[in-house]
Amino acid sequence: MIEELRKKAEELLKNGTVKVVFGYGEGSVPERTRPVFITKPEDVNKLTWNKYCVYNLTTYLKRQETRKLGKPALILKGCDARTIIVLLKECQIKREDVYIIGVTCDGVGDPLAEKCKACDVHTPLIYDDLVGEKRENKEVPFEERYAELDEYEKLEEKDKWEFWQKQFEKCIKCYACSNICPLCFCDRCIVEKNQPQWIDPSAHPRGNLSWNVTRAYHLAGRCINCEECQRVCPVDIPLNLLNKKLAKEAEKSFDYRPGYNIDDELAMSTYKEDDDEDFFK
Amino acid sequence: MEKTLNKNNFDSFITGLKKQGYKTIAPKKDNKLVTLDEIQDANEISLDHVITNNSIKEYFLPKTEKILSYTIEKNKVEMKEPEGFAVKSVIFGSRPCDAFSLPVMDKVFNWDCVDKFWVERREAVTIVTISCDKFDSYCFCTSVGLAPDAKQGSDVLLTKISNDEYLVETVTEKGENLVKELESVFSDPPSGTPDRQVATVEKKFDIGKIKPWLDDNFEHDVWDEFSHKCIGCGACTFVCPTCHCFDIVDECSMTKGDRVKNWDGCQFKMFTMHTSGHNPRNTQGMRWRQRIMHKFKYYVEKFDSTLCVGCGRCSRVCPADMNISEMLEIIETEAGK
Amino acid sequence: MSKAEAKPENQFEPKIIAFLCNWCTYAGADLAGTGRKEYQANVRIIKLPCTGGIDPLFLIKAFERGADGILVSGCHPGDCHYNSGNYHARRRWNVFRPLLEFCGINPDRIQFSWISAAEGGKWVETINGIVDAVRELGPFESYQKLNTIGPETSGGAADASSETG
Repeated sequence: MIEELRKKAEELLKNGTVKVVFGYGEGSVPERTRPVFITKPEDVNKLTWNKYCVYNLTTYLKRQETRKLGKPALILKGCDARTIIVLLKECQIKREDVYIIGVTCDGVGDPLAEKCKACDVHTPLIYDDLVGEKRENKEVPFEERYAELDEYEKLEEKDKWEFWQKQFEKCIKCYACSNICPLCFCDRCIVEKNQPQWIDPSAHPRGNLSWNVTRAYHLAGRCINCEECQRVCPVDIPLNLLNKKLAKEAEKSFDYRPGYNIDDELAMSTYKEDDDEDFFK
Repeated sequence: MEKTLNKNNFDSFITGLKKQGYKTIAPKKDNKLVTLDEIQDANEISLDHVITNNSIKEYFLPKTEKILSYTIEKNKVEMKEPEGFAVKSVIFGSRPCDAFSLPVMDKVFNWDCVDKFWVERREAVTIVTISCDKFDSYCFCTSVGLAPDAKQGSDVLLTKISNDEYLVETVTEKGENLVKELESVFSDPPSGTPDRQVATVEKKFDIGKIKPWLDDNFEHDVWDEFSHKCIGCGACTFVCPTCHCFDIVDECSMTKGDRVKNWDGCQFKMFTMHTSGHNPRNTQGMRWRQRIMHKFKYYVEKFDSTLCVGCGRCSRVCPADMNISEMLEIIETEAGK
Repeated sequence: MSKAEAKPENQFEPKIIAFLCNWCTYAGADLAGTGRKEYQANVRIIKLPCTGGIDPLFLIKAFERGADGILVSGCHPGDCHYNSGNYHARRRWNVFRPLLEFCGINPDRIQFSWISAAEGGKWVETINGIVDAVRELGPFESYQKLNTIGPETSGGAADASSETG
């Protein structure tokens, strides 16, 4: 599979289809890989593929430094490719501006990443070329997909508050969570706006709560569950639980899952007249 | 002064500290992390880690701290300075690299303006370090002139000499006083030369070659090339024991407010953004260069000390696996060309 | 204070912030006023053009600044002055409300309603309802405790509990 990837990358660079290939390279330790940006056909041997390829490389589509490299081909797993569908829907990229080398994937991370346990996109839903043997994307039932949330949803209100306060307290406001997120693409984030200061920049409990809740909320109906925010958090806050909770509510209320169907309207930019309003008085 | 401390006596050591009115901070396991945190009991202490996830700096330069509060009335502004921020405490079980970061940063916090928050905390806190008996591939203290059993910055240094015994060496007067205060928990030093169990951290680059190359290569392709994968978060600077940039903001209403000091980092786009919208460090390559330059050139020129202790935390947390010692190895290679 | 005669001593008076749309609920509140209807005076109204313009951050900010409860109210579905603002708002609350609940904030502290310009009576009922409900829950201490920074605890900027009203 690695050979196939390298060959594909070489071909695309040689025939000028793309200027750069975003892929995975060897990391600083065997248990890690790292993003590499291949611009010369002779460098394709730097590309690799293994179970440590956890990164969602679509995040580099938002960074001016990597955009400057020219039209990219991206090596994308099924989950990552869902991001492309959301980005297309949200008019952040044009389909013709990216070349997608889809890879079929049986799960990444060691131990297996949480997102892989209920994966239903082993084969990407969108690609220009597919590397690896095509797998069947079996549907996973709703309950199973959100099973991780059960133990937290069951908690008493007070315990929920305490649990999250303990988590948010750790936050150091490094913003790795939003910087790694391919869908946090605002040129100026809400935390950078200070007239008025919506979110306290201080890493105290008040500022941390408003930041973490707002970050999660801004991904409502958009997060494709790549778990990158949680992976990169240097203080180990289970951020993806919040994302997942929102995804669950969006699916329950609007019957919508981001990144599956390019024809679906984005959950938060549309409405239905009969949307749930049981909680209204 | 030399003594020994048996692991079984950790309990009475911690209880002793408490009795003497010290707040005790020690490595504590918390799910996937080991963090320096306040402990009440010796069995909360974790000892089998390489290095704690958070650095020692947050006990001297907290991630957020109030430096002033004020109230505004019609013709009156009243200001109040915080008190009681320097708490008599002991940091037990920090690593030598962390401890060394303190004298390095003393230089900047006592420079043109004496930062009382730093200085008063420095006085109130006693550092009891444990030498490293293990390391991982991110460690590079020996490359920046330190060692896994370096004494600089510690008040007391503990080094493992058998499975449950530590050699206790006092480094400063403060350390000596602490050992005297709790004399009963320590035993006499062993006769002969003890078998110091200290990790052997391999040297990765020659620090002598770094600065001369930096002097000449402000403009170089390597800055951009190396930092393409950087996502521009500040995780590296926040976990770094020697990164000390901060930002000051007022959190206020019409009638009162707090002036708050928060960690800031050179890897953020906003760090150098001007009001006009112009940004002198406009690309991540420039920001990455700044981090390396500050640590290995500017600080050396100004304070005659490298602003890096080789703990490797930045490389461990980097979301994109940027590795600082690898960068320095690249520089060393470039310098040899 | 409308029900002063019925008020027991030392009764907790919750602070309720109401985010209202200009066209329906605000006019409804106005109608309650011109109709001399009495209701509990615990509510501070913030008028906006449309519920569709209410960012969830407004709610967080209200809690930060000492609110014990929040009301969000606008035009009935189909009646939006801008055609669909309230439908979009409803979508937002559909996900934001469970998020807060997930984080341990009692959903009864945030209530939503549709009140038209003609429903002065409903306004009175809604306000009395939320004030009673939040009074029952007590002050939102857990959130207000977040407002203190640093070693000495009094006098934080956002310790706004003493300055509203």
